[in-house]
Amino acid sequence: MAEIPDIAAAPPARAGMRALPYLLSLPALLVCIGILVPFGTAAWYSLQRYNLAMPYLRGFVGWAQYLDLFTDPSFWQTVKVSAIYTGATVGVELVLGLAIALLLRERSWFNNFVSVALLLPLMTAPAIAALMFKLMTNPNFGVLSWIIGKFGATDFRWASAPSSAMFTVVLVDVWVYTPFMMILLLAGLRSLPQQPFEAARLDGVPARFVFFRITLPMLTPYIVTASLFRLLDSIQQFDIIYAMTQGGPGDSLLVFQVRAYLEFFQYTNVGLSAALMMVLWAITYALSNLFIKQWLKLRERTHGAH
Amino acid sequence: MARTDGLWRVLRGLALAAVLVFFLFPIAWIVLMSFQTNEQILQLPPRVVFTPTLANYAALISGKLHTAAGDLDVPFLRNLGNSVLLSTASVALSLLLGVPAAYAFARFRFRLGENIAFTLLSFRFAPPLLVLLPLSLYFQDLGLSNTYVGLIWVYQLICLPLILWIVRGYFEDASPDVEYAYRVDGHSWWRAFTRIAIPLAGPGIAAAGLLAFIFAWNNFVFALILASADKQPVTVGALAFVTASGIQYGQIAAAIMLSILPTLALALYAQRWLVEGLSLGAVKG
Amino acid sequence: MHEKAKDLCGAFTAGRVGRRELMRRMAALGVAAATAEVMVNAAATKAMAAGFDWQAHKGTAIKLLLNKHPYADAMIADLDNFKSLTGIDVAYDVFPEDVYFDKVTAALSSRSTEYDAFMTGAYQTWQYGPAGWLVDLNEYVKDPARTAPKYAWDDILPNLRASTSWSGKPGEAPGGPGAKQWAVPWGFELNNLSYNQTLFDKLKLAPPKDLPGMLETAAKITRDAGGPYGIGVRGSRSWATIHPGFLSGYTSYGGRDFTIEGGKLKAAMASPQSKEFTRLWVKMIQDSGPKNWATYTWYQVGTDLGAGASGMIFDADILGYFMNGGDNKERGHLAYAAFAAKPGAATPTSNVWIWSLAMSNASKKKDAAWNFMQWATGTDHLMFGARKKDMVNPIRASVWKDPEFLDRMKQGYPGYIEQYNATAPEAKIYFTPQPLFFNLTTDWAAALQRMVAKEVPVDEGLDKLAEQINRQLKQSGLG
Repeated sequence: MAEIPDIAAAPPARAGMRALPYLLSLPALLVCIGILVPFGTAAWYSLQRYNLAMPYLRGFVGWAQYLDLFTDPSFWQTVKVSAIYTGATVGVELVLGLAIALLLRERSWFNNFVSVALLLPLMTAPAIAALMFKLMTNPNFGVLSWIIGKFGATDFRWASAPSSAMFTVVLVDVWVYTPFMMILLLAGLRSLPQQPFEAARLDGVPARFVFFRITLPMLTPYIVTASLFRLLDSIQQFDIIYAMTQGGPGDSLLVFQVRAYLEFFQYTNVGLSAALMMVLWAITYALSNLFIKQWLKLRERTHGAH
Repeated sequence: MARTDGLWRVLRGLALAAVLVFFLFPIAWIVLMSFQTNEQILQLPPRVVFTPTLANYAALISGKLHTAAGDLDVPFLRNLGNSVLLSTASVALSLLLGVPAAYAFARFRFRLGENIAFTLLSFRFAPPLLVLLPLSLYFQDLGLSNTYVGLIWVYQLICLPLILWIVRGYFEDASPDVEYAYRVDGHSWWRAFTRIAIPLAGPGIAAAGLLAFIFAWNNFVFALILASADKQPVTVGALAFVTASGIQYGQIAAAIMLSILPTLALALYAQRWLVEGLSLGAVKG
Repeated sequence: MHEKAKDLCGAFTAGRVGRRELMRRMAALGVAAATAEVMVNAAATKAMAAGFDWQAHKGTAIKLLLNKHPYADAMIADLDNFKSLTGIDVAYDVFPEDVYFDKVTAALSSRSTEYDAFMTGAYQTWQYGPAGWLVDLNEYVKDPARTAPKYAWDDILPNLRASTSWSGKPGEAPGGPGAKQWAVPWGFELNNLSYNQTLFDKLKLAPPKDLPGMLETAAKITRDAGGPYGIGVRGSRSWATIHPGFLSGYTSYGGRDFTIEGGKLKAAMASPQSKEFTRLWVKMIQDSGPKNWATYTWYQVGTDLGAGASGMIFDADILGYFMNGGDNKERGHLAYAAFAAKPGAATPTSNVWIWSLAMSNASKKKDAAWNFMQWATGTDHLMFGARKKDMVNPIRASVWKDPEFLDRMKQGYPGYIEQYNATAPEAKIYFTPQPLFFNLTTDWAAALQRMVAKEVPVDEGLDKLAEQINRQLKQSGLG
């Protein structure tokens, strides 16, 4: 199936048929293209000194805003925090999601039930999940605080200490999104061909060897896709962090979107907010390029294997 | 060998139990909280046995919230209705636009085709705030601010790429031979599309729709910025229980439960499509 | 029955029937107490109508943007009176406070014509005003053709009138010459001590007199009360952490936010006064503050006091007021005291928060909106709110003289009137108005968070903060 028979060409080609794919895909494109206009506006704002509360200062400054940004240590703090958050969430979710997927690999009534039950956190809006964890980590009546207190950790401060704030928001993210990773990897695992595994079992190959030499390599395309997908979402995290700490304590959780949101909606600094978003957009654009290329490659390979 | 097998089994059971506890305990706990009064919630140690009260749910459903400063109106059911309307309409529109486009990308090779597909996919990954800021200005000029139509349009950013992405993979998976044969029989392209292609991709479309629904339902910031109070979804509505005269923990818990229920019901109903749909469409492509 | 009740109300406003008698006879007519109150107010509102054409904008519909707040609730409860007085229809959007100001910024910055008037604080007007989003209300207040003679602008406490006006020149004090009236005060908060009387009695404690005393008392509570911690103050990464108790105490110690040299602003957070105060403040939170202090907002500070989880708070007086009612565990156990942080200080220097009403410049129904604003901040409605609802603290001198309101406060809220009287003379906004207010106070709160977490020593933290703020002031041409 490497070469898809072009069914438009198969019957005698007509002009109408040639236009068909455009007719089919253009409405979707047009709906989204409207979004490009505000995108252009944002790019234009990012080249201006523009604070709504100081209209008299408004003016075109070219790249100056970006230069200010790149020489500001707090910008690099934002980059660092975003990178740590993204790395930690994607890493943990990948390992955990893969482990759970392996546990549920066999198709059985019980395993299917568990995998559906595990989707529950995914149904919970991240903003609401953050609210839940805020309740559960409240030092006065929160059940999680109480439980760890029973184990002697009476001074653990969850989101309100810089040392544990990152842990807390990562925990919420892991709780919400691991099921997403799990279900994608489970899907991948279940669609792997069975012969190599059967052959390995007949030969008595040790489980560890099977995992590292057969399962993992075969699963790699799925792992890459799922990780990239989460990576792109995670680097743009807003709901969870904003609801938990608004970027605090200190600057310890000031990721890109939280900072840009504060810059716009609280400090009315449109120019700086737009510049921050453009930087984030450049990062995600590069990553999503990688993502889509990887996905296309994977698709070719699976189709080629048929 | 048998002994390690048994041990393995026990370990596996323990691991699964731990996983279930980690992912389900928070929800179970919120369920318990939603049946407690504020005073019961604020007690330590936390209780598992208590006299349940339906007051929290009653307050949400009647829309009257009792606080230290008197009764407040809380239009939570309206928020719930908005969420249902926004998510359903957005997914419906996305399917309407996305399925034909996905079919076009899967079945035809055409100039700029891959470019268009890439552009559409990349929308999924653009930072939402980036477009949101100027959009609030344009919406004012276009008369779209504070309308459901405007919101549903913006929600396409969440739903459309997702649907396109999954459904396209599905169409590519299904062999075009059947359609081809059908077309050779003298049926029009449109009939082949609606009678053959769509039914074959059914599970994938269902899975994509469901996933898009979940993401639309979970959105927080779009409606907050672009619409007035009577069009806010539950994600914003759940904040209403934090009032100047105190935090209504029980009602927050009840609101969380009510906000999860619809997606949960939908997911349970459609679960076989979700797991299988994703396994075939999303990753494999 | 309705006619009879109306007649009664008329007799009451004409002075022929006393209040108690009126309520008794109303009850006899089967009118519920709450309804009776609103009806009485309707009669009073009619009396207010004299000498002004309230019906001039009959048939207009206006829309308000409101924060979920007891003030808004009191207004909504009385709103029918406004509608019948003016024939103006009023719709409103209520948003939870967590997202309220973001929503206001979104609406105003997009020049939305949706909302005609909205709730705001005074600090916010330092952004909204210069941005051109607000109407200078001097045009209305000072125009007898637009404002009812009975409105009595001068009856509104002078400090509050001044604090809600500003010239728009960064660094100039509120209420100075050439100030524009960006908003009208509606209700306000002082920052003082609210404490758990029962707990204090049990531990034989008296309310502390100054900041060192507060540290001591708070430490004692944390040590001896068997559970509750000593003192609740806010700590989230937000301007809201700076403006209540913190800035009041800071000012008492002689701290300023900025100094002004040659028209340029300069951060003053690294001054010796600031360091002396901040050291104590940080130590107080480390020793006896809430464990999750860095996420604490108004809500957590209040809820803890109401639930008996904290011994006292140094925060808005009305927060303590709310916690003394409702279904809070400690309702009826709370008491209030004035608080001057610096040992030996004569009077407290309380920073104030003023919930105010402002008018959107994009509004197409400004005159109707003003009629609403003058009604909502007028004597009759505020009297109703103060007596029957939770419109405290009232912004009008005449309401503070009302025996019914004073009685109510004295009975249910021990020490409240006293703390108010002791604090009011020196209570005003102690911030220097400038458009970067939210930016810089957020940085200030973030710096406090780092100091409390012991990531940086107090002195060093304040030096760094001043540096960082000076850099931002320079970038914006303010410093």
